[in-house]
Formats: sequence, C-alpha cells, structure tokens
Amino acid sequence: MPAITVENLTKRYGDTVALDDVSFELDEGEFVVLLGPSGAGKSTLLRLLNGLTTPTEGGVYIGDDEVTGKRSDIGMVFQMHYLVETMSAYRNALTGALSRADFLDSVLTRYGREDKVRALEALDTVGLLDEARQRAGSMSGGQQQRVGIARALVQEPSLLLADEPVASLDPKAAEEVMGYMKSAAAERELTTIASLHQVNLAREFGERYIGLRDGAVVFDGGRDDLTMDVVDEIYYEDGEGPAHEVVA
Amino acid sequence: MSRDRTEDDPAATRTDGGTARGGPRIESALDRIERAQSIKRALTVVGVLAVALFAMASATYLGFTLASIWRQLPTFLSSLVAFLTPDFHFFTLYATDQGLHGWNALVQSLLNPSALVDSVLRRDEGLTIVGGAVATILIGFTGTVLGFPLALLFGVLGSERVTPFPFNFIFRGTMSTIRAIPALVWVLIYVPLVGITPVGAMLAVGTDTVGNLGRLFTDELEEVEDGPIEAISSTGASSSQTVVFGMLSQVSTSFVAWTLYILEINVRIAVSLGVVGAGGIGQYVKGRIGLLNFSQAAAGILMIIAIVLTVELASSRLRARLRPGEHESRSIVDVIMGLGDGGKWFGQSSKKQ
Ligand SMILES: Nc1ncnc2c1ncn2[C@@H]1O[C@H](COP(=O)(O)OP(=O)(O)OP(=O)(O)O)[C@@H](O)[C@H]1O
Ligand SMILES: [Mg+2]
Repeated sequence: MPAITVENLTKRYGDTVALDDVSFELDEGEFVVLLGPSGAGKSTLLRLLNGLTTPTEGGVYIGDDEVTGKRSDIGMVFQMHYLVETMSAYRNALTGALSRADFLDSVLTRYGREDKVRALEALDTVGLLDEARQRAGSMSGGQQQRVGIARALVQEPSLLLADEPVASLDPKAAEEVMGYMKSAAAERELTTIASLHQVNLAREFGERYIGLRDGAVVFDGGRDDLTMDVVDEIYYEDGEGPAHEVVA
Repeated sequence: MSRDRTEDDPAATRTDGGTARGGPRIESALDRIERAQSIKRALTVVGVLAVALFAMASATYLGFTLASIWRQLPTFLSSLVAFLTPDFHFFTLYATDQGLHGWNALVQSLLNPSALVDSVLRRDEGLTIVGGAVATILIGFTGTVLGFPLALLFGVLGSERVTPFPFNFIFRGTMSTIRAIPALVWVLIYVPLVGITPVGAMLAVGTDTVGNLGRLFTDELEEVEDGPIEAISSTGASSSQTVVFGMLSQVSTSFVAWTLYILEINVRIAVSLGVVGAGGIGQYVKGRIGLLNFSQAAAGILMIIAIVLTVELASSRLRARLRPGEHESRSIVDVIMGLGDGGKWFGQSSKKQ
C-alpha cells in the first residue's frame, strides 16, 4: 500500500483554480521535489497535504487515513524558519513534542525523558548537538533552518513537508541544509516532499520530481527523466522560454 | 559551560545517529542541559522567594497588618454599598435647586439641556458635577495646547540630529528636570503666582506636557530615516529647512498622534489636580468624601469614568484615522472631514487585525 495517496485533488479560490485534479502516490521513504513556477500551486498543495486548508474536491490519505485537519504526524519546515528566537535551539526543537505534553509541563520544560532525548537526537541529525544551548536568534540562517528541521523531526512525523526551505539562504548554506534534510529523511525512512526553486539543488538531492504548472501535474518522474527540456517545459510555456537558459 | 569534547569523535556516531535511544554523546549532552536547567530553576525559586520576602517586610515597615484591615473591613464594605446608589444631587445647579436626588437628578437634568449649560456658565455659584467635568476637560485641553509649542521646540532641539552632541543635552536635561517633578508638585510651585486654582492646574499640566511630550518628540526623531534628510539637504536647502522638510515632515503624523495620547493623560492628571483643590471634578469628589457622603462622591466618580473613557475613545479613534492610507496621502483637512462620518467611529478597529 502506498504511504501517501493524493486523489483528484482540486482547490479553487473563487474563480482561481490553484490546484486542478492532481493525483499521485508516494511510497514509504520517498524523497520528492516539487517544481514549478511562481503561482503554480506548490504552496497550495503542501498546505492541503498537512491539513492547513481543505480541498474543494478530492482528498489526501496517509495510509488509509484521510487528512482532515492539522495533525502532529505531519512535520512542516517553513521558508522563514519561524523559530522562537529568544529560546535555545534545544527548547525550539522540543516544541516539536508539544502535542505530547500537557500545558503546565510544557511551560515548565518538564517534557518526558523520551522527548528530551528525541530533541537532542534530532539536533544531532542536523549537526547541531554542540550548539543545542545557543539562542536561536543568534544562529546563522542555515543553522536556524536546521533547527526548524529538527523541530519537525521531534514531532516523529510520518510525512515531512518543506515549502521552499532554502529560498532565503546563500547557495552554500542551502546545499548544507538540503544535505541534512536528505540524510535525516534517509535515516528515519521519512517520506518527504520539498518544493524548491533552485533546479541545480533539485537535481542534486531529488529522487523523484513532480512538476506543477497552473495547478496541474505536468511532470512526474525520476532524475534521469528530468532533462533540460523537461525543466523548460515546467517553467515556460512551450516555445516561449529562452532555450536552456539557467533557470535557477 | 564549555563544550565537552572529550567523548568520541562526533562524526563517528553521526552516520548511525538516531537509531539507538540515547547513546553516550546524547546522554552527556542531556546531562549538561539538565544540570544547567536545574541550576537555573533553583536560582529562579530563590529569586522569587527573595522578592516575596522583601515585599512582605516592606509592607510591615509601612504599617500593614492583616488584623487592622480585617477590623476595618465591615466599615469599608458598607461605604462601598453607598457607591452602588450614586446620588446626583449636585449634578447641575437645577438638580440642587429642585432638591432632586439619586438617578432622578441625573435624568431630570439631562431632560433639561439648559440646566447643563447653566451649570457650566454659572460656575462661581457652586461646584456641580457637570461644571467640574467641563473644567477638568478644559484644564487638560488648555494645558496641552499651552505645552505643545515648547514641547515641540525643546523636543526638536533635544535631538542629536538637530543640535550637536553636548548642546542637545541642555534641552534634554531641561525636559528631564521638568519630568522629575510631578504635576501635583508643579501646581504647588505655582501657588505664589496664582494660588491653588484651575489656572494653576492649567499651568501645571502645561509644564508637565513640555517634559513628557518633548521627550516623546525627541525619541521619535531618533527613528527618522537618513535618506530623505540627505536628499533634502542636497537640494541646497538651509539647515532649518532641512529640519522642517527632511525630518519633521517624516514624523508629523506621529507627532499629532503622540499629542493626542498626551491629551488623554493630561485629562487624567487634571482629575488628580482637582483632588488637591485646583478645581474640576476631582475637587468635587474630594469635597464629598470629606463630608463622608459616599453616594454623592460616587456620582462624581462615575462622571470621571465617563470623561476619561470618552476622551480615550475619541483620541484613539482620531489616531487610528491619522494613520496614512495605503496609497493616497491624506491632508489634515481630509482627516477632519472624515471624522464627520459617524458610522466609522465604532466597530471599525476589528479590521486592523
Ligand atoms: N488564500 C488564497 N486566496 C486566493 N487565492 C490564492 C490563495 N492562496 C493561493 N492562491 C492562488 O492560488 C494559486 C497558486 O498559489 P501558490 O501559493 O500555491 O503558488 P506557489 O506555486 O506556491 O507559488 P510561489 O512559488 O510564488 O510560492 C495562485 O494563483 C494564487 O494566487
Ligand atoms: Mg509558495
């Protein structure tokens, strides 16, 4: 049985069709990169996947279970990290365990030992164990984004989503963050969907690619199938785009 | 705490990290964090206890005992009951003359608008609630108007960007000194000049405004952007023109907003100045409490609440409307015309979220 099933997913905002009859299936542990020009519906798809919005038609299933609202077993990494900058990396990572702690315990940082170990392991996975006690606000953009990944990992998700996780980073930090995300997913056999704007990064880290344009899937395939022509087709209407110009 | 690098090479465990629960590196990191956290927690507990103990000792020093509070409690509660039945006997001269009492005095006065005007105009014939309220608002208003030009002058000259470094402290220092003296003391300082009168209250509020509003102006000027100042001065404008067009034009709406905010505060100060005898609604309440007539004092306190809430509502609405629109820049005339649109005064703030 596929780990994730997306079935005839359609989302309309008034007259705007943000997502148009999208269907695909993901196996356990697949690392998928979402490509597509601005306004193609990447964010909309990710928001539907983690239940932040509800579909107009169709549905998303984790195993047999339909996604109907926010849930703790889907981890999300945001473009602007959204860490609490006054808290340490460790306590930020621990917020991933909030759904397992009651209010008073979480305020007093009285998490279970399990969760504390999980938080440190997640920080270790993203290479930040030694920086665990550093204030998040004083970390570099790349480190912050890695703490964001750690927080998502502490949720112990069965699906990891990332919406342009490296869009605000310089090329080197972007590569590093993607590397950690990839290895975290591999270690935990975590099904992952990340939208990316940098085609070179996508090529380096992706295993499977889903290309969206105007809300519809225009490509779904592996690295070998993602030729320059295919990239052009995803980002430009046929013939309109400058042939083989560097898109990233 | 320093990083403990004595354990195994971190890179060695990274490749298979996350499989085993714990592991020596994780364990020792957790230990270190836990230890630091328990120290922090202990210090927090000690700190909270120390503050609580010191507060208790201070209260004792001031003569606080639970026993005396407990003894007086029934008297206090019965006086509070009187507050539940306000007596508007002194609401207007008309109500007093007709011998009206309770809420009826309020209703009859309101049904008779000339009684309201009468009490304001013939204020030397007796301190009424309506007359006192108007006097209090006018003290706050005239004090603000009086203080504004000096606040502007001192505030602008106090900014380091207008007056070079050591000299701007002449103005900042003056404002700080003014602020150090509360309005309640200023009104006493003006006693030789005008006695304890509404005029003294007005002067006290005005002086206070120079200190408070001027400070806000100076702070606001520190925030202005350099670009426009540079651009204006590069046109060959004189330095005073640069101040007006490059700096003040950037902050004019926030200056007006701050002035309205100070007006709110000044009305509240005017109430308290009345309590020391400088006229207005505060003086009325003080007088009634002195006669132990709590019901009549309660009527005055209700009026104070009404005044302060009204001024706050009006000022915050005004400030909300001063905020520049997204696209067009609105002239002050447009803003004032827009105020006539009564429907927008209420229930519009929810939109701002
Ligand atoms: N809340 C909304 N209300 C109305 N329209 C929306 C909303 N969210 C998205 N849309 C529309 O849906 C379409 C897809 O938007 P989406 O944000 O998913 O694109 P995207 O692929 O993430 O683009 P980008 O790369 O710029 O982030 C766009 O036309 C957008 O205007
Ligand atoms: Mg997007």
